[in-house]
Amino acid sequence: MAELTPPPVRRIALDADPTVIPPEEAINGNGHASAVRRPEAPRPGTVLERMRVEELSVAYGSKLAVNRVSIEVNRGEVLALIGPSGCGKTTLLRSLNRLVDGTASAARSGRILLDGNDIDFIDVTQLRRQVGMVFQQPNPFPMSIFDNIAYGLRERGSRKPSKRALEPAVHSALHRAGLLEEVKDDLQHPALRLSGGQQQRLCIARSLAVQPEVLLLDEPCSALDPISTGIIEELIAKLRTEIAIVIVTHNLQQAQRVADRVAFMYLGDLVEYGAAEQVFEAPQAMRTRDYVTGAFG
Amino acid sequence: MSATREDRRVGLTLGALSSLVLLLIAGMIFFVLEKAWPSFSHNGLSWFGAKGEVDAQLTEIFNSPADPNNYVYTIGAWPLIYATALVTFLSVALATVFSVLSAIFIVEFAPDRLRRVLEPVVRLLAAVPSVIYGLIGILVIVPFVADHFVTEGARESVRFVIQLDGTSLAVATAILTVMITPIMIAIIVDALRTVPQGWTQGAVALGVNRWRAMRTIAVRTARPAIVAAAVLASARALGEAIMLSMVSGSVGFAPNPLDGYIFLLEPARPLAATIVDNAEGLSVVPFGQTLYAFAAVLLVSTAMLSLGGWYARRALRKYTVTR
Repeated sequence: MAELTPPPVRRIALDADPTVIPPEEAINGNGHASAVRRPEAPRPGTVLERMRVEELSVAYGSKLAVNRVSIEVNRGEVLALIGPSGCGKTTLLRSLNRLVDGTASAARSGRILLDGNDIDFIDVTQLRRQVGMVFQQPNPFPMSIFDNIAYGLRERGSRKPSKRALEPAVHSALHRAGLLEEVKDDLQHPALRLSGGQQQRLCIARSLAVQPEVLLLDEPCSALDPISTGIIEELIAKLRTEIAIVIVTHNLQQAQRVADRVAFMYLGDLVEYGAAEQVFEAPQAMRTRDYVTGAFG
Repeated sequence: MSATREDRRVGLTLGALSSLVLLLIAGMIFFVLEKAWPSFSHNGLSWFGAKGEVDAQLTEIFNSPADPNNYVYTIGAWPLIYATALVTFLSVALATVFSVLSAIFIVEFAPDRLRRVLEPVVRLLAAVPSVIYGLIGILVIVPFVADHFVTEGARESVRFVIQLDGTSLAVATAILTVMITPIMIAIIVDALRTVPQGWTQGAVALGVNRWRAMRTIAVRTARPAIVAAAVLASARALGEAIMLSMVSGSVGFAPNPLDGYIFLLEPARPLAATIVDNAEGLSVVPFGQTLYAFAAVLLVSTAMLSLGGWYARRALRKYTVTR
């Protein structure tokens, strides 16, 4: 009995089996990454274009952060933006919901389309409801779990819906984010007292509550322990059938685990863009090859 | 070795100094209460009630016989307590609204160049001596109110009760609001700045505009600081004597809300102003003890205010504390 005690990992409050890889499997398998199930490739026909970026450039003052990048974001797929720090991937991500517009020095050119409409002609409130975002650092509001999820719904209209009317939507958002079972007994619990991984799933649930079509994830696991990261990656794999997902990561293994398509950026340029297997196993560009094999970055 | 010994010596010295402060405060409270006791014990609970004209009672006390057995203590301080509460509450309420709005402007909306001017000016304003406000009040605002707001009709309607000359609840409240708003702005600006960017960003990413993100997240998070600012401002308002004695009218009168808007034009002299106005009578023993009683009420109110603020802040922090 004693020799089977799992290593001292940080326990998070859940009854489900923890995603701990049994040691035998890790040894038998060839490395850590392969021990994690890769999501099955999306079935043909389920992929649907949601956003299209055309010749996007973003500059902060005189510094060009994103240089004439064109990509598509599809429902049914996870798009990973990879590249070393400062390569413009986060700026690209924040352009998709026009969050860069809040930076005074940022100038953006090129077109971004959401379902065929230029996002500069969509009301920014509406845009950000359709294109949700989760940040690097879990940022639950200093309120109860319930109020966190209900926040976006309450702020939607001038008339605030009653608590009872919001309950189904809150429950469904928590369920989709895989958090409901852990928190349903006490939705009045302060959100900031949840564990880091739970907080991040709460943030995902908060974004899902307003029914977005696209979900942007800005290094969602970089502040989390491996178990929480695993849970969130599983969640991403599940969610991609319903909404388009864009994830920024500079963890290559993570991109390999979750992404269907990968865009490799370097110093503002889009170097390589294609199916995940192709980018990782048969990269076309020299710089991509060097990056995915670990020659730099 | 010697470094730790020095640290210990410094620790002891600083500890002794701060204990001295505690001792001083305790001593002061004891001293004031002890001096005030005869006034309270002669009147019982009716000290806090309304019985006749408080100014006439003060004159009686001032003129009491020299024989300690015949000292006069009868007083019903209600008009003064009421005036204190009214002026303090109204000005703190107004100042809270103004300061929260100005702080939001400074932190989130002001253009950089304006912000760089605005902030130091606000902090400077917080340090203006109150007597200057009193002077401007009595030389400019009181005559202005008397000329433009106190109509003949208003004067006539309360002619048998009180004389309206511009020194009034409204002027006192307005100037006090101006006096306490800057320090509140400074405290709330600091608090809004400490709200993690991630929270307001998170709200903005959900499609909420900046104003609503400030209101629903930043101001909400800063509530403990807003309470702290309001408590500090209340303490200053309660203790403000000179300015209020200059502009509030030297009459112990309880403004009557039933008079309609004239209510605001009626004089109201708070406790602290009453102490200042009557300081020359301190040599008369029972009169001095009555003034000490006023001081005791102020002292206890500020203490209770701090305590109440502490509880309120603790309750409001429920959701911001992570562990």
